Amino acid sequence: MATALSVRIPELPPAGVGDTLPTDLRTSQQRIAEITEMIHVASLLHDDVLDDADKRRGICSLNAVMGNKLAVLAGDFLLSRACVSLASLKNTEVVTLIATVVENLVTGETMQLTTASKQRFSMDYYMQKTYNKTASLISNSCKSIAILAGHTAEVAMLAFEYGKNLGLAFQLIDDVLDFTGTSASLGKGSLSDIRHGIITAPILFAMEEFPELHAVVDQGFKNPANVDIALGFLGKSSGIQRTKELAMKHANLAAQVIESLPESDDANVIRSRQALIDLTQRVLTRNK
Amino acid sequence: MLFCRGFSRISRNPRTILLGFILSRPTGPSQSLLSNQYLNSTLKVCAGRETFSWSLPAFLGIGRQIHHQSSSIIEEQLDPFSLVADELSLLAKRLRSMVVAEVPKLASAAEYFFKLGVEGKRFRPTVLLLMATALNVHIPEPTAGGVGDTLTTDLRTRQQSIAEITEMIHVASLLHDDVLDDADKRRGIGSLNAVMGNKLAVLAGDFLLSRACVSLAALKNTEVVSLIATVVEHLVTGETMQMTTSSEQRCSMEYYMQKTYYKTASLISNSCKAIALLAGQTAEVAMLAFEYGKHLGLAFQLIDDVLDFTGTSASLGKGSLSDIQHGIVTAPILFAMEEFPQLHAIVYQGFDNPENVDIALEYLGKSDGIQRTRELAMKHANLAAAAIESLPESNDEQVRKSRRALVDLTQRVIMRNK
Repeated sequence: MATALSVRIPELPPAGVGDTLPTDLRTSQQRIAEITEMIHVASLLHDDVLDDADKRRGICSLNAVMGNKLAVLAGDFLLSRACVSLASLKNTEVVTLIATVVENLVTGETMQLTTASKQRFSMDYYMQKTYNKTASLISNSCKSIAILAGHTAEVAMLAFEYGKNLGLAFQLIDDVLDFTGTSASLGKGSLSDIRHGIITAPILFAMEEFPELHAVVDQGFKNPANVDIALGFLGKSSGIQRTKELAMKHANLAAQVIESLPESDDANVIRSRQALIDLTQRVLTRNK
Repeated sequence: MLFCRGFSRISRNPRTILLGFILSRPTGPSQSLLSNQYLNSTLKVCAGRETFSWSLPAFLGIGRQIHHQSSSIIEEQLDPFSLVADELSLLAKRLRSMVVAEVPKLASAAEYFFKLGVEGKRFRPTVLLLMATALNVHIPEPTAGGVGDTLTTDLRTRQQSIAEITEMIHVASLLHDDVLDDADKRRGIGSLNAVMGNKLAVLAGDFLLSRACVSLAALKNTEVVSLIATVVEHLVTGETMQMTTSSEQRCSMEYYMQKTYYKTASLISNSCKAIALLAGQTAEVAMLAFEYGKHLGLAFQLIDDVLDFTGTSASLGKGSLSDIQHGIVTAPILFAMEEFPQLHAIVYQGFDNPENVDIALEYLGKSDGIQRTRELAMKHANLAAAAIESLPESNDEQVRKSRRALVDLTQRVIMRNK
């Protein structure tokens, strides 16, 4: 995104300073990437504590290896380092954006922890939670990249929209893969969401076609028999298909956003934009 | 009688006041000799020190410490907290509205410690509001007539914001600390983790932190943002230092003071500095504000350490002993270890075994640990007071009142017994 938005802004200072400026800009944009990664990992560390998870990224979770206390502290530490880094950017709009992200992450996690029954059936609630938990970080950091580069509010908004739609598409496919795993048939996936009682898009769509599924969802999924029943309904429904379609819709929106960016002749800029569009497709076609 | 007038006479020199008092006391023949001797020895005392304490006659029955630059008007017994009581209520209301969340459970978790009755002593906001007034001197920058007024209001609001941010960060750290320590109680009620579970407590802490960051960003002052971000890092570092001390570090006074700075003093010192920066003060003044906060915070924690042993009575062991039972080695024990090297072995073994607690208490009782900790606290309290007295002079009555209150706080921190 940083390269994709790398267009000459008319108010740039004369040549000598201009040379150093892009390097400084690039460094500060890289810092956004670092900050984003620190916040992301901090949220993973805390989430694993909250969910009593044993595994993460193919290895043991930090809490499983070093205990909850150190995991909570480590998350706090990363968050504080991210704050210090953020402050060093000396851009209060960016600080506000990223602070809002942290708030959204917490809100999203809380939405997931404490859904009343009614909310669990609502696609709106689910999309809002997904925005908070997944898309907010990417969208607001994309926007920050644009702001640091001194772009207009419109361009910043486009960057935001790219991140948001990409994030949503990513999560929706994630939901599908949790059911389908590495094979196209149902049930080969890890089924970890549903076993934790987390209702995702495929099930929500299935519930629209089969109201009987409401009762099963209401009961919850501590009982593995309910998981099987739900899978049964899901298989009969077009839940998986409709989720993939929704993901595609968001992926296409993201691609369109890139195409709406102000024109550029720079080869690097064009390449980066192509890559961003390419990513929107990869997010859809991945199978793990 | 004469002695009453002695008090109301305007006099700058405290020694003159004392003389006036003594000279105007009614003396009978048997007492005159006594009072002369008293006078002589007191004069000797006066000559040697800038500050001194003296008791007023019995019927007044108050002990006061008068400082070198006392004002010409007799000082009422200032209650620092009452000076800012109204503002604190305003802050409390704003804080409660700031921690409102869309998700109900998060909302009740976040506002748990901001509800009426459990806001704690609100020591930090009090210090910060007093500091804001204490530094309220006119900076000679030309501003258009009307703007000057709005600027002043805005400034005060921004400084109040620092107080709110500080309180949110403080509570966030308490929430996480209680999760880390498996604590059941806090501020006289159940801890949040005990009432709503660890998960919500961790989340609520994160939420408060993020709200604090948003507020901080709104101040649009990147130096202040850096200061407060550093505080958050210090809080975590301090907690980690406490959790993971190696045996050698646990015996080190330096390590302990560093940890104490991170855990307790950094928040107050850096927010005091932020108050000064927002007011557009010079780097020197900002540093004085910082020093005040730092020494006050250190003094506060050292007395806290003492009280954990002594509680509400002067004798050992009546306190809650919660530090030592959690294996946290504080200043009194560290001092005792200097006098009794045998105590090292006990500390190495740790305090899971309650017998070790008793042994340590015994050594502590035989040592000067408690006394030396109090003395160290007093040293820091006096340094804090000195920082206030080094501030650029002001004739504004509000400013002077606030500065006196800040100095008063340094004494209250030492003298409290709970």
